[in-house]
Amino acid sequence: MKIIIVGAGEVGFHIAGRLSLEDKDVVVIENNAGALRRVCENLDVQAVEGCGSSPVILEQAGIKEADVLLAVTDSDETNLVASLFASILSPTTIKLARIRSEEYLMYQQALSQAPYHIDVVINPEDEAVKTIERLLQVPGSVDVGEFADGRIKLIGVRLEADCPVAGTKLVDLEEKTGNKKILVAAILRDEKVIIPSGGDQLLEGDLIYFVSEEKELKEALKIFGKRAEPFKSILIIGGGNLGLKLAKALERLSIHTKLIEKDPDRCRKLAEDLDKVVVLQGDGSDQGLLQEENIQDMDVVATLTGDEETNILTSLLARRIGAHKTVTRINKFSYFPLVSAIGLEHIISPRLAAINTILQHVRRGKVLSAMALKGEEAEALEAVALETSDIVGKPLREISFPKGALVVSIIREDEVIIPTGDSVILPQDRIIIFSTRQGIPRVEKALMVKLEYF
Amino acid sequence: MRLRYTLHVVGILAFFLGLTMVFPLLFGLYYQDESVMPLLKSMAVTLGSGLALYLAFRSARGEVMSHREGMGVVAIGWTAAGFFGALPYYWGGVFSTFADAFFESMSGFTTTGASVLMNIEMVPRGFLFWRSLTHWLGGMGIIVLSLAILPLLGVGGMQLYKAEVPGPVPDKLKPRIRDTAMVLWKVYVLFSAAETALLMLGGMDLFQALCHTFGTMATGGFSTQNASIGSYHSPYIDTVVILFMLIAGINFSLHYQCLRGDLRAFWRNPEFRFFMGAVVIFVLAVSFNVYHTAYESCFDAIRFGAFQVVSIITTTGYTTADYEMWPSLSQNILLFCMFLGASAGSTGGGMKCLRIMLLLKHSYKQLFSLIHPHAVTQVKLGGRPVSNEILHSIWGYFMLYLGLFILCSFLLAAMGVNVVTSFAAVAATVGNIGPGLGLVGPTDNYAHIPVLGKWLLILCMLLGRLEIYTILILFVPEFWRK
Repeated sequence: MKIIIVGAGEVGFHIAGRLSLEDKDVVVIENNAGALRRVCENLDVQAVEGCGSSPVILEQAGIKEADVLLAVTDSDETNLVASLFASILSPTTIKLARIRSEEYLMYQQALSQAPYHIDVVINPEDEAVKTIERLLQVPGSVDVGEFADGRIKLIGVRLEADCPVAGTKLVDLEEKTGNKKILVAAILRDEKVIIPSGGDQLLEGDLIYFVSEEKELKEALKIFGKRAEPFKSILIIGGGNLGLKLAKALERLSIHTKLIEKDPDRCRKLAEDLDKVVVLQGDGSDQGLLQEENIQDMDVVATLTGDEETNILTSLLARRIGAHKTVTRINKFSYFPLVSAIGLEHIISPRLAAINTILQHVRRGKVLSAMALKGEEAEALEAVALETSDIVGKPLREISFPKGALVVSIIREDEVIIPTGDSVILPQDRIIIFSTRQGIPRVEKALMVKLEYF
Repeated sequence: MRLRYTLHVVGILAFFLGLTMVFPLLFGLYYQDESVMPLLKSMAVTLGSGLALYLAFRSARGEVMSHREGMGVVAIGWTAAGFFGALPYYWGGVFSTFADAFFESMSGFTTTGASVLMNIEMVPRGFLFWRSLTHWLGGMGIIVLSLAILPLLGVGGMQLYKAEVPGPVPDKLKPRIRDTAMVLWKVYVLFSAAETALLMLGGMDLFQALCHTFGTMATGGFSTQNASIGSYHSPYIDTVVILFMLIAGINFSLHYQCLRGDLRAFWRNPEFRFFMGAVVIFVLAVSFNVYHTAYESCFDAIRFGAFQVVSIITTTGYTTADYEMWPSLSQNILLFCMFLGASAGSTGGGMKCLRIMLLLKHSYKQLFSLIHPHAVTQVKLGGRPVSNEILHSIWGYFMLYLGLFILCSFLLAAMGVNVVTSFAAVAATVGNIGPGLGLVGPTDNYAHIPVLGKWLLILCMLLGRLEIYTILILFVPEFWRK
């Protein structure tokens, strides 16, 4: 499978790295020599120097043989032109373009038709807002993924010391809780993914991913010692694109929202666009202002300015003053491990959100949605079981899945099955598979055709 | 640099090298000569050492090869290859000292073709085959071959690849380094098979055809005959060898493009035009120069002139004539060819046409800006701008190459080797050519060089093959700092 990535910024570089580790042929086009050198020296991909919107460069990169084109430069116009030429030169290539400008997004429908034929428009800020919304809907969680149109959720929770199940072995979990439908899909311990078996223990400080149906979510969260009251009030710091979008979304959900923005002109614009949200002009890191606005009574403080260092410090400050929960926007991927270490559990990155969306579309087989776990060592995929696939029609225990992969749910029409070794997957079932990064290529193969290699 | 991890990877390479010893062993068994036992013994030791290194330095998984380890693996790996490759000769009694065996082995792997054998035809054929096989393995690169075949080296492959493939900027033909390595080897094998077939049509047996193919395609120069290709007295064989020496001296990515149907890829490439232009001009000059002075017939002048020019410029080092009997202009041209070398990305050595071409262009730009002090100039290659960074690294390489040449020839002269010989011996080893002038000319060999001088020349060959930086970096203390 050949994938051309236009733009080697944070998103392009990251996706190129991910895909090249999965045995895909990746070509990166970039016109900044420095960024290109970073690609050459760190990744096993082909690098082409030039502007991605140029048809000559696209052809040189082999657009005609490419299965997917990812246009993810910072410039909407470059991405659009790259997609346009790709659709002229190679109509069968799937095109994903990152578009941020509101004006273009209003014509999203038109972009999917001639002459552009962009298959998927990715707006990082929209994806980030969706991620925050999901987080807010499941209080107490660190990471939330939705499958089967939101009926099934994959939830990540951090296990606190006072949690009733801390120290329990997985085999004993059912007995201890009396709940039947909890499936722990993965444990993240010290940055390492464990795809657990019955003998594994849940320890304090683990990040535990479990699968739960929407309706049983409250029960499930209780088991892990998380309160499940919904949020009522939010303070947003930073009124940029992301802040504005989130505020609008929250307005629709009728959550009491305050928004702090430094720039008076921007504040005026925000006040024009928003109806119920309280727009405050001031510095988000001003302790006096935060106290004046009763930060200790806010359920969530979201720091979403463009400056990640400010966000981190402001979030820490807010916690100190008494905020219950903070959401921090960070762009640099290298900060992620650091940030959870200093106690900021919820990190939001438009770029990471965009990467998740992109991954879902480059997966082979009929993949409906995909989600990368924190730390990116594992991934969850929702896919349709095809008739030709070897995973169909046999009890699960007889299928030799690649190491580190696990079927966590089978969805048959309206029924959700948490599978055991005897469960059988039928054609057209939707299945959710959990896999470590190493297992992904083989899982993809399994979803596509006969399993020759297992 | 993490030495443990480096040695771990070197272990894999050594094990792999041990496996390749099976081929000379087969020939040894077929001809029933004395090479069988020494080869078996060497193979066991090489495999064993490789495995031991691999296991002893195994560490936690997930180590990533950095730039430094990449260079370390290549530098240490090549030295180890030279060492293990010398074992069969030493144990087989071909040479009395290990220095000689090591010299022969390193000369093989670096595709130099400088020999310390007094009488080649006396040596058992198993050894001769190993000698030529080391050429073939070293020509396209042991590391590149391992990258293509062994999945173990997949991660960090780019670092290794860059450190081994000659030329300032290696081309990546395919998105994945493994596929690139595979493609290069496929092209290499394809041409080798073609040449073997053509040589057999010219009357060689399989053994000789294979050995000479290995010597040609790798631009090595080891022969199974004392008089090299000249011993066949066949214009047909001369022509075939000239053709394949030229092929081996051209960037292999051009061959790949050509085989995929893009015939004009050759002509579009500025380095190819430069290389072919140089070949044509020098062939004409030398042929004209030797006509009437060394050869009576026009045909002979062109035949021997062309062979020698192509052999030296591609840094192969096969001979069909004693060019020391030629007029001094011809000898001077050949000496210059030793420095010029073949194309980047080929199996040849020398400074490479690409570098010389860019240096010439850069020098011209300097002159130009003297005339137009306000002119904004940019060196271009095939219409594409060449960054100053690359130009700087090429100037650096040029200076190192010359500096090394001067220093080593002084050292050699200090050991009592005469002027012409010491200059030519260093030029012929750093350039990976083989035969030089004076006492190391086409009809002589390197046996009489003092032992210390042999070690010096071994270092020269390695420096030349791995393009100086990779080896020289081992001598920089900063490199070893953790």
